[in-house]
Amino acid sequence: MPVVDVDPDELRRLTGHEDKSDDEFKDDLFALGLEYEGDTEEGLMQLEFGPDRLDRLSVEGVARSLRYQYGDDRGVYVPNTNDADWTIEVAESVPEERPYVTGAVIRGVDLDESGLDSLIQLQEKLHATMGRKRVKGAIGIHDLTMLKGASLGDDAGGQRITYRGVAPDGDRFVPLDSDEELTPGEVLEEHPTGRTYADIVADYGSYPAIYDELGLFSFPPVINGRRTEVSTDSRELFVELTGTDQWTIDRMCNIVCYALAARGATVEEVEVRYQEGATHPDEGADLLRPDFEVETKTVTHDRIERMLGLDLETDEVVDLFERSGLDADLVLGDETAYEVSIPPYRVDVLHPLDLVDDVGRAYGFNDLVPRYPDVGTVGGRHERSRLEDAVRTSLVGLGFEDLLNFYMTSERENYERMNVEVGSDVAGGDEPAVITGPYSEDYTMLRTWALPSLTMVLENNTHRAYPQDLAEIGLAAGYDPEENTNVAEHRTVAGVLARHDATYEDAKGRLQALCRDFGVDLETPPTEHPSFIPGRVAAVVIDGERVGVVGELHPEVLVEHDLELPVAAFEFRLDALQ
Amino acid sequence: MSTRLPDAQVAVLETASATDALTIDELADATGRKPETVTGAVFDLRDAGLVAIEEQEESTASLTDEGETYREAALPEVRLYEAARDAGAADDPAPMGQVIGASGLEGPEVDIALSNYARKGYGDIGGGEITAAADADPESDAEAAALDAVAAGDAESVDGDTLDQLESRGLVAISERTVRSVTLTDDGVTLLMEGVEAAQTVDRLTPELLTSGEWRDVEFTEYNVEADADEASGGKVHILRQTADRVKDTLVGMGFEEMEGPHADADFWINDCLFMPQDHPARTHWDRFALDVPPIHDLPEDLVDRVEDAHRNGVGDDGDGYHSPWSEEFARAVALRGHTTSLSMRYLSGEAVGDLEPPQRYFSVEKVYRNDTLDPTHLLEFFQIEGWVMAEDLSVRDLMGTFEEFYRQFGITDVQFKPHYNPYTEPSFELFGRHPETGELIEIGNSGMFRPEVLEPLGIDCDVMAWGLALERLLMLMYGFEDIRDVHGTLCDLELLRETEVLY
Repeated sequence: MPVVDVDPDELRRLTGHEDKSDDEFKDDLFALGLEYEGDTEEGLMQLEFGPDRLDRLSVEGVARSLRYQYGDDRGVYVPNTNDADWTIEVAESVPEERPYVTGAVIRGVDLDESGLDSLIQLQEKLHATMGRKRVKGAIGIHDLTMLKGASLGDDAGGQRITYRGVAPDGDRFVPLDSDEELTPGEVLEEHPTGRTYADIVADYGSYPAIYDELGLFSFPPVINGRRTEVSTDSRELFVELTGTDQWTIDRMCNIVCYALAARGATVEEVEVRYQEGATHPDEGADLLRPDFEVETKTVTHDRIERMLGLDLETDEVVDLFERSGLDADLVLGDETAYEVSIPPYRVDVLHPLDLVDDVGRAYGFNDLVPRYPDVGTVGGRHERSRLEDAVRTSLVGLGFEDLLNFYMTSERENYERMNVEVGSDVAGGDEPAVITGPYSEDYTMLRTWALPSLTMVLENNTHRAYPQDLAEIGLAAGYDPEENTNVAEHRTVAGVLARHDATYEDAKGRLQALCRDFGVDLETPPTEHPSFIPGRVAAVVIDGERVGVVGELHPEVLVEHDLELPVAAFEFRLDALQ
Repeated sequence: MSTRLPDAQVAVLETASATDALTIDELADATGRKPETVTGAVFDLRDAGLVAIEEQEESTASLTDEGETYREAALPEVRLYEAARDAGAADDPAPMGQVIGASGLEGPEVDIALSNYARKGYGDIGGGEITAAADADPESDAEAAALDAVAAGDAESVDGDTLDQLESRGLVAISERTVRSVTLTDDGVTLLMEGVEAAQTVDRLTPELLTSGEWRDVEFTEYNVEADADEASGGKVHILRQTADRVKDTLVGMGFEEMEGPHADADFWINDCLFMPQDHPARTHWDRFALDVPPIHDLPEDLVDRVEDAHRNGVGDDGDGYHSPWSEEFARAVALRGHTTSLSMRYLSGEAVGDLEPPQRYFSVEKVYRNDTLDPTHLLEFFQIEGWVMAEDLSVRDLMGTFEEFYRQFGITDVQFKPHYNPYTEPSFELFGRHPETGELIEIGNSGMFRPEVLEPLGIDCDVMAWGLALERLLMLMYGFEDIRDVHGTLCDLELLRETEVLY
């Protein structure tokens, strides 16, 4: 879940509640769904919250939510915007993998160190969440005074920059945190940030780039040029976003604009001019950005009352909407409803139901009185789980310690260390269901049997008292194209008896007792299995079906697991006892 | 006729006399038995009225380690006096530091010497100087003589005051013990004259003793019933399974029925039905365990279409979809389930047990797989408690009431509901509760009302509330474990599993 670092002094200043203590803030924030996780080394409060209200990824957004909660602000607020002076022209050469761009101009900015930190944090957190690690959307923020727009020609005074494609060995520029002029290709190979994000553009036909009259100044989504670097001296900013979805980058842009506006800056529109005949849905369109259009959704009074389990007056509901930063117009008709206006920084309202949640939060969910639902149903256990429990009880009665191991394992543990060949026709030899691109060499597949797990437990407990009689009932699985999921899963029953005088008979005796408990016939015809001593191993045949193996573990397997005493063992399918 | 008594009692009776009292030690010597055995026999005989016991408190004195040291090296005050005399302090007061230095006394011995010096008339101390009494005679120091006497076992010759003084100085230890002297009573004498014989004693009760009736004539040797026996080791149901069983019992009692389904499943059931956008961070390679097998063969095609439509366009007149890509190919890919909500989707869709009519309650306590960071509280595999209630007109209050009741069964009270966000529920809550032992507020689950974008494609037109919780979290709360790796997995510690207290 996202975590935002917030300076409590900034919070006091931005909310106008200078007298609030840190602890009071923590309680108020918890009620909003932001959980205090601790302090950073610099003394900032770390707040964790669900990834819905991404407008709260900065102190400005958190302060805005608190002001609504405190009743200082009500209803929808939309900052004024000035008319566009700048245009982003989308060139034909723009990479088709990243066709979308948006932006805004911000004037009258006055950022101190903590304001600048907050802006950078917001940018990074938006990258990590909505921006899907910059793949879906990436933000570049520039010092506007360092840009030289090309004249539009058609419109006196207007200035133009261009979003276009560039070859990997195309124009050179000096990226942030560097002194060298590099081509985009060199940035991806030589610059640390370039290496981090190289994967995103690796398969692009050409690389995304933004040019002004002086040349390339931004290489989204990788890195900005140093020429337009933002500092606390910057008073005017150019914000550009590129990505794979127009709506997503527009909303990210709105969140950034709202945060800067909360610090007293003025937002100025930017015109985005797409190419005629471009391949994207907004083809040929001229857009004015940021898009601060207020959308509406309609929710019925009844739906609110039913979801919250409350009786509410309509003016009370309208009040709760306004305290959530929404506006609600009462719609009288067959059914009382509200037409609710949603501010353009909200990214989480997909359905009228989401507005009910806002009402609930404003009302205070913890003020609702819990009630046990008056609904009668009959409970029960699944047959498989009842059988498993019954067998477990029998095993424990026979003296086994019941164990629980991971269902994921590795080829080495599952086959090699047990002397078993992959795909061989012996217990445990089934083809594995393998994990794609495993992260750990210890967990690369689902186990095909449980004896390796128990043997590993023995291996890790040679310093503990013997006898060690261990059993496990759990999942085993293998690749099977006949299954709908291509994975055959079954429950397996495994037991090991590690004691100085353990013999085949100890294992078989317990198997007999189990089979007697469950009223099935057990036969143990001799068989061969590479994990066991030849001549001391048998197939487990229950009611005529081969379902497992019983025997004395082979000394090679014992020595491999650092065991210095004999181990008798068995394993078979749980459903054989059904 | 003669009387049968246990062997030891017979020996005591035959050795004791009606006139001369013998101590237990003397009887033990004479009968060749251990004093404990004789004591036991004597008490039994006394209870039968055959002997009389006279008890006397006897004190014995012995030197402590410190007393022994001073006996060998002379008392500190004596050494100080000798050093003072050597320094001429019998004539003129000598500087203290110099005398102490010459005496060779060190550490606490210096204080001991100073505090006993004047008391015993060896001289005066004051103003940093020391005098030595000309007439004092260390050779006749009563305490020194007493140390020798005690060492020689002749404490009786020491006068009481001196002994008390040495005890209070910690040089002599005085211990009290009860000495028992035994004489035959008249009954005892009579019985002896009539004749006694030793009964046979046996170690083990054997089948032969039982069948022959001989058990009536034998005495069983006594065991030390207080001694520790060898550990018996039996099996035990794994504590995580025990915890799961308790959860299952609770839920069945609350009217929930258990679900069952595949661990490896199509992403469609694991995520798409849950309205998780396909570019959600939890669906990336790094968070899930995808399996290298072909895609699932069969999915209900109508449902796939409805789910895709919900993702792209939302549901209802005012609904919006995600601005995320959606492909059926990804939906069909098989992975290990990241939550058992995949089972809930299979049940709610009718795929598992046919169409369900409200009301219904279902649960599962089963394994899920997440590529989380391994640490003491997180494993790659863990058990998820999953439950849902389907009914007409459920409200957030019903959800709260259900979970309060569930957690109350585990001693967790004061449940709080923190508004939260899940892609598949709205409203959503993280559940917090008061720890039964420590009283802290801790996270105990995640819950919410399934969204219309989840329910409408599944064909459900009533309300469904759901919640999930890691079983391991409950286990750690109940047992106070700090590292889950000790109990779950091949690195588990058998000792810990064997010794863990059973909870109920």
